[in-house]
Amino acid sequence: MAKRAKKGCLGCSFPLAIGLIVLFLAMFVIGFLAGPIGSKMFPAIQLPEWLSVAKPHPELPAEVVFHLFGFPVSNSIIAAWVTVIVVILFFGLVTRRSKLIPGRLQSIIEGLLGWLYDFCKNVAGEADGRKFFPIVATIFIFVAFNAWLGLLPGFGSITVHTAEGETHLLRPANTDINVPLALALISFVFVEYFGLRARGMRYLSKFFNFGAFFGGLGLIFRGKVMGGLSKMFLGFINAFIGIIELLSEFIRILSFTFRLFGNMTAGEILLLAVMFLLPFLIALPFYVLELFVGFVQALIFGGLTLIFLTLAVTHKHEEGAH
Amino acid sequence: MEALIRILTSFGVTWPALIAQVVNFVLLLVLLHLFAYKPVMRMLDERSRRIRESMEQTELVKQQTAQAAEETKKRLAQASLEGQEILNRAAKTGEEMRQKTLQDAKEASEALVQKARSEIAAERDEAIDSVRREFADLTILAAEKVISRSLDKKAHQELIDRVLEEGESLKK
Repeated sequence: MAKRAKKGCLGCSFPLAIGLIVLFLAMFVIGFLAGPIGSKMFPAIQLPEWLSVAKPHPELPAEVVFHLFGFPVSNSIIAAWVTVIVVILFFGLVTRRSKLIPGRLQSIIEGLLGWLYDFCKNVAGEADGRKFFPIVATIFIFVAFNAWLGLLPGFGSITVHTAEGETHLLRPANTDINVPLALALISFVFVEYFGLRARGMRYLSKFFNFGAFFGGLGLIFRGKVMGGLSKMFLGFINAFIGIIELLSEFIRILSFTFRLFGNMTAGEILLLAVMFLLPFLIALPFYVLELFVGFVQALIFGGLTLIFLTLAVTHKHEEGAH
Repeated sequence: MEALIRILTSFGVTWPALIAQVVNFVLLLVLLHLFAYKPVMRMLDERSRRIRESMEQTELVKQQTAQAAEETKKRLAQASLEGQEILNRAAKTGEEMRQKTLQDAKEASEALVQKARSEIAAERDEAIDSVRREFADLTILAAEKVISRSLDKKAHQELIDRVLEEGESLKK
């Protein structure tokens, strides 16, 4: 802040800048004193009750806000709807009026999508990149907007009365494990779909690789015991690797899920804790951090999906047994 | 598997929420495909096509311009050459015409002078003749009066002729 004063910028005059800095410092001190650390250090100073932030009690399962036709609607589902509406409005309104010579918003959207498209093209190649682009871009946009919208005021502060008591109306969608799990399942489904479509039955032979094993068995019946046994051994290893591949395919779902869920939930809890311990200004850098984390997690989720998709359709791992 | 399901449930996985999120995501995918990817991709493709086209066109126009400039230069050089030639020819023609006109004028004036001179000569001869006749008559008359006698015609004429001859020689 001293640096700001020296510059005398901020787009305002020098006295105003000093006033703003004093205000920030006051907020900083009051925030520190209002939090539990400050009040323990200086018990003599009593601040009004409304300044202190309530102790957070994060809950892992999302709370149900209301029932729609008997279908429980949790606060994270509402947040996901908000994300969908915001994203569609943002993209729809801008692209509807898109011109050949782009405006600023159009440039931003085209830059973002163009960047993602180039990413897909670089990883998966021209033809496959075009096919994978929608799924990868949607995952990126959904995760990133979930994370960024979750930082807005209103998330975690607006509460509603429900049958189960006071609950938050909105909860950052990524912090409900159902969202990462849903994304991971969709990623899994698309990976298997594109793998099967690109390579047909040979894609499955990556997982159920018994060809060499039974080939060896056949050799033994034809009397070539030594050759048959060695081929059976090789086939056994192949089959075992196939099973591991199959398992890893499913384990991916879990790693996808818990990576996103863990990062986002940790970030949310970090923000809550900082807000509780040192209210107001101190939390600001953590918000910046969370903006960055949201971007990185979105990129990781989209990028890993893209890589798995690419691996599923490439012929590099064609088995030598055939 | 049991343990996994128990863990997932403890983290809050429920069928309705999971299905809702899957539906949500698929909805977002479809809507984004319709409202964002298709138009934006079309726009990006269109723009790159336009840019490529316009660049090609620019190249073409540049070439054409260069060609046209070359052509113009050539034409200009040719035109200037032709112009020079025409000028030369005109100057020559002018000179010839001037010479011819001068010649004509000279000839005409000479003819005029000649004619005038001959006319003047004829006039003078006539005038001299008439004066001589007059003079002869007058002389005879005067002689008749002065002498008051008549000479015979023959002697008379001789006298006159002598006088005239004297006069002639006098005049000359």
